[in-house]
Amino acid sequence: MVHRSGDRERCGTGIEGLDTVLYGGIPRSNTVLLTGSCGTGKTSLALEFLIHGALNGENSLFVSVTENSEKMLANIIPYNFFEESLVKSGKLVLVDLPVMYERLGMTKAELTMEEIDLLVAAIASLVRELGTKRLVIDSITSVCYKLKTSEKIRDFILKLSKALSDVDCTSILVSEMSAQASSYSMFGVEEAISDGIVLMANMERRGDLLRTLQVIKMRGTMHSRAKYVLDLTPEGVLLAPLLKGGSAGT
Amino acid sequence: MSDKRVAQLIVDELMEAPPSSAVSLQMSIDHYLEVLRGVLDLFASKKEADVIYVTSTISFDAIKRVLEALDINTSRVFFVDCISHMTMGASSGHMDDHTTLVESPTMLENVMLKVEYLIRLSDASEKIVVLDSINSLAIHNNNWILSEFLHILVSGLRARNVYTIILSVEEHSTPEINNMVNLVCDHGIRTNPKEE
Ligand SMILES: Nc1ncnc2c1ncn2[C@@H]1O[C@H](COP(=O)(O)OP(=O)(O)O)[C@@H](O)[C@H]1O
Ligand SMILES: [Mg+2]
Repeated sequence: MVHRSGDRERCGTGIEGLDTVLYGGIPRSNTVLLTGSCGTGKTSLALEFLIHGALNGENSLFVSVTENSEKMLANIIPYNFFEESLVKSGKLVLVDLPVMYERLGMTKAELTMEEIDLLVAAIASLVRELGTKRLVIDSITSVCYKLKTSEKIRDFILKLSKALSDVDCTSILVSEMSAQASSYSMFGVEEAISDGIVLMANMERRGDLLRTLQVIKMRGTMHSRAKYVLDLTPEGVLLAPLLKGGSAGT
Repeated sequence: MSDKRVAQLIVDELMEAPPSSAVSLQMSIDHYLEVLRGVLDLFASKKEADVIYVTSTISFDAIKRVLEALDINTSRVFFVDCISHMTMGASSGHMDDHTTLVESPTMLENVMLKVEYLIRLSDASEKIVVLDSINSLAIHNNNWILSEFLHILVSGLRARNVYTIILSVEEHSTPEINNMVNLVCDHGIRTNPKEE
């Protein structure tokens, strides 16, 4: 699943439609913001990215922030290609961030600048220790709530991205936003400093509700900017181009 | 033409088309049952193919009953039903793992996605997608979007070596619809092969 196209090595997501949109995959060591409102399929897609990586021999790490990760795994779409052994063998590791906060003694509602550095260092050392090549943080928005100011959010994401790309880890930061949002993230900062933005949404077309996916930005590669319709299936995320005849209307 | 001969004619013609063909099958409305027999029974079983049957005309339930009455084996037929949900709501019919519903025949992208899903699930070496029918889809969609849909669907299926059969009903068709179908098909069959 590692493609070479252009000058950046690719981290194939294993999601056929998305890899096509990205001309082979996410440029390796990019930090990508996967953003959308609730129920649009972000957790499902992010997990699929990790499972395909793990199946392909890349150590993968899921950092759960709001939900207990085991509960998440039990409630997510039962993918036909998921293998229990990936978790047992440690190819796919699930970690709950609240447990990390606790170990680091970060009990207050708001993190200080020093604590941000500690948290970044803790995640980076975990990634190094596990040899993680693919990371998901679900969601980064929940971490941002503990940071409060745009300055701290910027500082945290920049330092985290740097630490992850230094060890060649390709990362997806899941971002929650409201359906009516005019930006691509809750605080408006996250989107500006990530290497890529993938937007998932619900789109209404004459009374039909379609799930959509669109790559807004991706450093290091050409990509389609078109909207795709998405289906979450036990075979994984499937994409089809949004038909334009519908929006032109006749 | 006698009804029995219709089914045989369809099979003979279909067998001639190379794999990954897209075939336009225009029938007279009276020949519907023979078309089902020809495509689903004779052709599909000869090819040992899985059939993905997209219906926007009548519910999968109704087609299944027809097939059973005709003594046609449905174990290798998978349905994408675009009409039951709209007409009867989510709990329509007896759902099984051979059937997936699309909420509305206007959600053409979802038709493509469900077809793709069923193709991935199928382990048969030959696969046939039947679209029943272009005329009923045309009731719910304008020609622009329908034409775009056909192009994307057929080229995708061709690339995956899947056989596509697009049904149209002569009595309900228009020159625009016939053109649209002919544009993506490389082979045409008519059950009433008289004048144009
Ligand atoms: N086990 C499942 N089977 C089928 N569909 C599911 C399952 N789990 C989740 N889904 C569907 O996926 C949707 C999106 O889920 P999720 O990935 O958690 O979205 P998000 O993380 O964006 O909130 C759900 O609304 C549901 O429709
Ligand atoms: Mg989620």
